Amino acid sequence: MDRSRLKVLALFFIPVLILFFIGLVFGPLGSSFLGKEPPHIFKVPRPYVALPSESIFHIGSFSITNTLIASWFTMVVLVVLSLILTHKMKLIPGRRQGLVEVVVEGLLNFVESVSGKKHARMLFPGVATIFTYVIFNAYLALLPFFGTIGIHHHTHGHEKFIAIFRAANTDINVPLSIAIMSFVFVEFWGMRAIGVFHYLSEFINVRQLAQGLKELLTGKLRSAPMNIVVGIISLFVGLLEIFSHLTRMLSFTFRLFGNMTAGKILILVSCFLIPLVFTLPFYGLELLIGLIQALIFSGLTLVFGTVAVAPKHEEPE
Amino acid sequence: MGGFASLGVNLPLLVVFVINFIILFFLLRIFLYKPVLKMLDERSKRTKEAMELAEVTKLEFEQAKVEVQKQIDKGRQEAQSVIAQAMQVGERLREESRQEATKQAQVIIDRTRTELQAERDKIVEDLRREFVNISIMAAEKVIKETLDKEKHRKLIEETLQESVVLKKN
Repeated sequence: MDRSRLKVLALFFIPVLILFFIGLVFGPLGSSFLGKEPPHIFKVPRPYVALPSESIFHIGSFSITNTLIASWFTMVVLVVLSLILTHKMKLIPGRRQGLVEVVVEGLLNFVESVSGKKHARMLFPGVATIFTYVIFNAYLALLPFFGTIGIHHHTHGHEKFIAIFRAANTDINVPLSIAIMSFVFVEFWGMRAIGVFHYLSEFINVRQLAQGLKELLTGKLRSAPMNIVVGIISLFVGLLEIFSHLTRMLSFTFRLFGNMTAGKILILVSCFLIPLVFTLPFYGLELLIGLIQALIFSGLTLVFGTVAVAPKHEEPE
Repeated sequence: MGGFASLGVNLPLLVVFVINFIILFFLLRIFLYKPVLKMLDERSKRTKEAMELAEVTKLEFEQAKVEVQKQIDKGRQEAQSVIAQAMQVGERLREESRQEATKQAQVIIDRTRTELQAERDKIVEDLRREFVNISIMAAEKVIKETLDKEKHRKLIEETLQESVVLKKN
């Protein structure tokens, strides 16, 4: 290793190390070990975790919550970014246009690699929107003004701090709303690709049962019982299918909600126990988790969508 | 819904978030996916066209190269045949001129020979006449007019006629 790199390392790591030890010794963790009161500037408020989002103000009876503000912020950032990046598109792209093309083309290739070229253009907007929405919700929540700027609220005699911006993914309504949209997308794609009737007949499969009953009534007693039994089983399988489609929403919701809430709590606690720089690695971890969650959410939606648009087995005659 | 409510599930808020998402979906469709995908498609179309054009051009170039080679070969062949023809003509001309020259030389030689022959004949004639005259004069001197001149001449002529040396050839 040459000298200049050593110099950079020293310039970066030595202050970080010093800050880490200062935080360790004077922060709540060190103070409680040493049995002293921490100095005033290191008195971090106790982390307070509220699962429901807090309302900032009301419009009529509807309360505007801090997560709603954060999600609007995400939307504004996304729309403004796409407006800036796609402004005056040229056939030979510059850096600005190259960036957005890399992102969009990467997502499109991802969709094409899973669902094939035929359905990629249909699935793409939904999957891409889920991906960008989740990842921007997660990444923007790492900005400094999230969870820090807020108002003090007095209720029932004790004071409560309410941040104006709170990571949108940590409000269960947001993952739930995305999960509902994912469900809607999957069913819509399925119906559009293989026809409404054909698609629904996969879930409410009464054909074989009806055939068995008809045979029973017309007196073909040899094949009727078999058809009735298989018909009842396929009806039951259809019900299971419906149930699995619905439970996907729950798993989507709690996966994203849990990961994001855990990340937020992790950052809060690490910041509380050892103030200053100790929380830095957790920010890196949160960047990774945000990407992974966005990939999982959009990827699973894509897989379910691919399964839904795939032609079903031919019904036995 | 007691358990869900403690997690924060709130139906009006949920509806608003769903609407949010739908709005975002359409906004991104209009402002992000549509222009970018259009551009990507346009570019891939252009690239395909350019590659096809390049392919066609290459093919045409190959054909042109073959054609040019063919022309060159043809030209070379023609040149070769022209040269051969020219050489043939030259050969013929040379041959003709040689024959002509030979002929003319022959003519000159023949004429010269004829002239020479004539000259010699004349000289021989002159010489003979001279000799006859001298012989006559000598005989006159010897015989002293014992014979007449005419008889004498005849005699000598006969003698000369018989002689081999001065015979005309």
